[in-house]
Amino acid sequence: MIREQVAVFREARPEPPLWWVRFEVSVPPAAGRFMLADLAGPVRIPLFAAAIDPTGFAIMAPPGHPATHLLPGARVAMLGPLGKGFRIENQQRLLVITEAGRLPPLLPLLTSTATTTLVVEAATRARLPSLHRIPPTVELHTITHDGSAGHTGTLEQLLDADSPVRESLRWADCACFSCEPARYPALARSVRRARMHPSADFAQALIEVTMPCGAGACEVCRIQTRSGERRACSDGPVFDLLELDTDG
Amino acid sequence: MIELAPKHKYGLPIQHPVMPAAGVFGFGNEYHDLIDETVLGAVVTNPVSLHARKAARGPRFMTHGDHFLVHTGLPNPGLKRVLKEHRATWARRSLPTIVHLIATTPPEVAQAAQLLSGIQGVAGLELGLDDGAEVEAACAFLEAAREGHHPILVRIPFGDIYPLAEALAECGADALTLTAPPRARLPLAPDTEHDTEGLLLAKGRLYGPALMPLLLHQLARWIPRLAVPVVACGGITTTDAARACLELGAAAVQIDAVMWKRPNLLTEIAKELSNE
Repeated sequence: MIREQVAVFREARPEPPLWWVRFEVSVPPAAGRFMLADLAGPVRIPLFAAAIDPTGFAIMAPPGHPATHLLPGARVAMLGPLGKGFRIENQQRLLVITEAGRLPPLLPLLTSTATTTLVVEAATRARLPSLHRIPPTVELHTITHDGSAGHTGTLEQLLDADSPVRESLRWADCACFSCEPARYPALARSVRRARMHPSADFAQALIEVTMPCGAGACEVCRIQTRSGERRACSDGPVFDLLELDTDG
Repeated sequence: MIELAPKHKYGLPIQHPVMPAAGVFGFGNEYHDLIDETVLGAVVTNPVSLHARKAARGPRFMTHGDHFLVHTGLPNPGLKRVLKEHRATWARRSLPTIVHLIATTPPEVAQAAQLLSGIQGVAGLELGLDDGAEVEAACAFLEAAREGHHPILVRIPFGDIYPLAEALAECGADALTLTAPPRARLPLAPDTEHDTEGLLLAKGRLYGPALMPLLLHQLARWIPRLAVPVVACGGITTTDAARACLELGAAAVQIDAVMWKRPNLLTEIAKELSNE
């Protein structure tokens, strides 16, 4: 069901390199689901929650994002929550794997289970996110391409090598990914190699693409999966990672 | 009551002059939760072809101020699958469904038109022509679409009103939709990763409010010359714009991609016009 809601903008404050922007809304989006907000420009903009509470949600937006220009109390028309989010009920050991710039939509997952490991990949130390939004109970592994912090290499290399990251994948009950979509086929193969026969939805991946309508009508957000083309806005935007292994 | 196909044996009567344009409303009930369909005249489906089509590669959406380009490649699962998934919705609707057929080849269009004959709820076909279609080819597509028994609207490409509109009206089109969104291009950001040289352009169909004055210009020019009803389409974002189209002689208006931003606009315009 597509719900139309009016959200109230409450605050925006800088959290370099991003902005923390909070809205009050009666039904906030769960992790991986999104709201389509009528902010500026000719189409609505998808907003993924970086924090969720009973009265609303917050996003982390880059400087210049139209949400950072709102005045407190501004009312914003939103459609949603839309799409299918992460499915992690009854999972005890959660592994969250993300590129640094794509961490915000996964932040709500970090408090959802008893034991959580977070793997964050960045090109260099300076690109790693601020740690203060990461709960202290979360086990953190950082990967930098240049070796300036944490493990050296790329996600794919560390998932395929004898590393703590691969070890985390072996013991997890569920792994949630947020990366550039073009990387998912290779990551899916890494998961298969580490887990042999992972169950459906063991590995889930968020795909952030342009979603102008949010209703499955415009066909702009179609993505290729092993079982044919799917719409990111209504069939996703969270998919079974193994379904995205279209090269295999 | 508005008759969109006065010369057709079954006709295509609609209660209200407002409907969504092809490609913005989905195939079935995608907007069911948000839109009161009963105030609309008809629902035009997303483009469908006899066989499945995949989505286009490359950029599918680019904004440019208040306008944007869309290049989807008209993906669809093929007519048989669409019928399997949506014919029940079309049958339940209290208003006509107009199926937008992609003009692939005349034999495929003929086969699709035949498949759609007798489908409950389908009251007409809208034939979508490629840009640059020749008159002869366009008439062949129209003839093929008439293999079914439905009234045929032909959506004319933006740049081809001349010579297609008058020719298709003479060839037996029951109504014309003026027009499909124009094709346009926008520069892409340089691809530093692949070190490509030269200007890279994204192409697609252009949507946005600047199309409305162009539409009015074309309606004023062409409606007096055409002997068939005209459905106006392109850049209509207000009731005033819809009213202007009707006052210029359009039989109905189609609201295009603005409804992705404001889904209720469709019913707002329909209600305001029906109250007049």
